[in-house]
Amino acid sequence: MKLALAILLCKAIRFVGKLVGKGSSLPGQIALKFCPDALGRVKLPPYVVAVTGSNGKTSTVEMIAAVLRSAGKDVVYNAEGSNQIEGVTTLILTHCTLGGRMRGDVLLLESDERYARYSFKWFHPTHFVITNLYRDQLTRNGHPEWVYDAILPALHQDTTLVLNADDPLVSCFARGHEKVRWFGLEAWDGATAEHHGVYDDGAICPVCKEKMEYTLYHYNHIGHYRCPSCGHCRHTPDFAATGLDLKEGVLELDGDTRLALSFRSIYNVYNILAAWSLCRLCGVDKAVIARVLGSYILKNGRMVTFTLGKHHGTLLTSKHENSVAYDTNLRYIRDWEQPCTVVVMVDAISRKYFTGETSWLWDIDFDLLDAPHVERVVLCGKYVNDLALRFAFSRISREKIACYPSIPDAIQALERNGEEEIFVVTCFSDRDKLLDKVKREN
Amino acid sequence: MKLIHLYPQAMSLYGEYANLVLLTRLLEELGEPVERRTVEPGEAPDLAGADLVYMGAGTERTQKAALAWLAPHREALGQAAEHGLVLFTGNAMELLGASITDRNGTLFQGLGFGDFATVETDKRVPHDVIARTGLFEAPVVGFMNKCSVTSGVDNPLFTALDLGAGNERDKGPEGFYHGNVIGTHITGPVLVKNPAFLTWVADKLYKNRGETMPPVPAGLDWMDMAQRAYQVTLEELSALLR
Ligand SMILES: [Zn+2]
Repeated sequence: MKLALAILLCKAIRFVGKLVGKGSSLPGQIALKFCPDALGRVKLPPYVVAVTGSNGKTSTVEMIAAVLRSAGKDVVYNAEGSNQIEGVTTLILTHCTLGGRMRGDVLLLESDERYARYSFKWFHPTHFVITNLYRDQLTRNGHPEWVYDAILPALHQDTTLVLNADDPLVSCFARGHEKVRWFGLEAWDGATAEHHGVYDDGAICPVCKEKMEYTLYHYNHIGHYRCPSCGHCRHTPDFAATGLDLKEGVLELDGDTRLALSFRSIYNVYNILAAWSLCRLCGVDKAVIARVLGSYILKNGRMVTFTLGKHHGTLLTSKHENSVAYDTNLRYIRDWEQPCTVVVMVDAISRKYFTGETSWLWDIDFDLLDAPHVERVVLCGKYVNDLALRFAFSRISREKIACYPSIPDAIQALERNGEEEIFVVTCFSDRDKLLDKVKREN
Repeated sequence: MKLIHLYPQAMSLYGEYANLVLLTRLLEELGEPVERRTVEPGEAPDLAGADLVYMGAGTERTQKAALAWLAPHREALGQAAEHGLVLFTGNAMELLGASITDRNGTLFQGLGFGDFATVETDKRVPHDVIARTGLFEAPVVGFMNKCSVTSGVDNPLFTALDLGAGNERDKGPEGFYHGNVIGTHITGPVLVKNPAFLTWVADKLYKNRGETMPPVPAGLDWMDMAQRAYQVTLEELSALLR
């Protein structure tokens, strides 16, 4: 009875909230006050899938949803990204009958790595996809091992973990866990024998802290590793990217399925691979997955194209405080090989909180822009001096760099000069300062 | 000058390697040849004649590993500190004390340069910092990201904080400074963010050799950038106090 009322209450508040444009966490919050164990009492769909990790959660979740829907499954997911327990409660209860049965074949949840253990106190996913653990928002996450420790209590023994085999820290989740499936990228032309990047979080083993050995690196500390001391090593993937050509934009999965990459980034490859693995575990036909993922254009607007004066431009949304996200986009620009100008904007470090912390700029491998086709680098925003200082200690020639404390001034200068391609690298917190001033395509 | 960086990959969680990058550049601008060496885990460090021994922050687990790597060389580090500066930032500072107690209650013996004890907690306190020291005039700006309380420091590096968590309490005294041994829980490239601190450290290195630091040449563009960046951060953080 209490549950039925909580469901009713949740639906009603959500209905009213939608009319007045309120967010999705309040209905769940109130329902939980009324019936704290509501999530433990509802009957969930046969598949409950959670996705977490530092980078790529949203893209992976969206791809999984697109594939499963094409395969005829009824998917309920938190598209709005309200991934804390209140938002999850709203999502579940609003899709429940008054009898407490949730409709749908699959409940798909993007799960905040810090709040997973609260969300999954009352129920546990059938599948838990963990994409990666990087240095990300250290100002509130502390460090990757702290995040690892936060996720660990959320993993139930009955849950099948779907893990990135190429990430040594993520692989630790398999220790003492029975049901594990692995995904990974096999050797390809872009893999290197040497580590690249400013810092190396794979230098020592996350288990025993002794020196780790790599036979190859895909990027940063993601690759094929083995600890000679304790034996912690990359597992042979159950689902693998068996061929990759980023230049041609071709990806081969599990030795027999090829698809075209609409966004030619290694980052995107891992998101696709995670989605592929999960969808195969849900029993979706390979051809269906390949058809959907092969034509899949990221909807979340991480990549936006625009025109500015005579320039064509591309915004590559990164995350401030996330050097891997930056590195991935810088690598994309390096591989572009056509004359271009690169704009880096750091104005507000976060949308959600204030900090003046800029240490993360020193973790980004800006030397990736040391290429002849990168003709100009424009730095702008409130933290332009921090950026200029960082670049003064990079290999980028001083003559290529222009600095503007004011973003509008930087945009105006670009508009008046040249017609080369522009790449803008910045965060969600700052990107509208550009997008409001340019002509967006599509 | 000989600068030694302990465990640069394992213990540089917040871009702290940049502290040594800027210090090297400054010394070179002052006409001083610099030799920068790194010490890897498990390696016996050659600390003889070091002008600076530096370590940055790590995860709590890596910090314990760093303690185990360094503890056998405690004596050598003590000897190095007679003539050279020892600077540990972030949770590396905790190694300088008498002990660290982790979240499970396990006690780890520290290197014992100070008589203070650190206890880790379940709560992480990430916060911007404005710190005051009697050593130079400009307040120090930075960021702290710790999950511990350090008590028993008699001689802190910073007398008080305008903003941020001190050793034992909010806005209380922070860090450790005794003889040639300096620790602060301020993480990241604190010397990069604070040109006054950077210059003070360089000056200290010269003094330790019985020399006088030459004046910093005017018009170093990177020094100007650092100074402007510092001003912006100080203004931003000061606004939080109003
Ligand atoms: Zn190991």
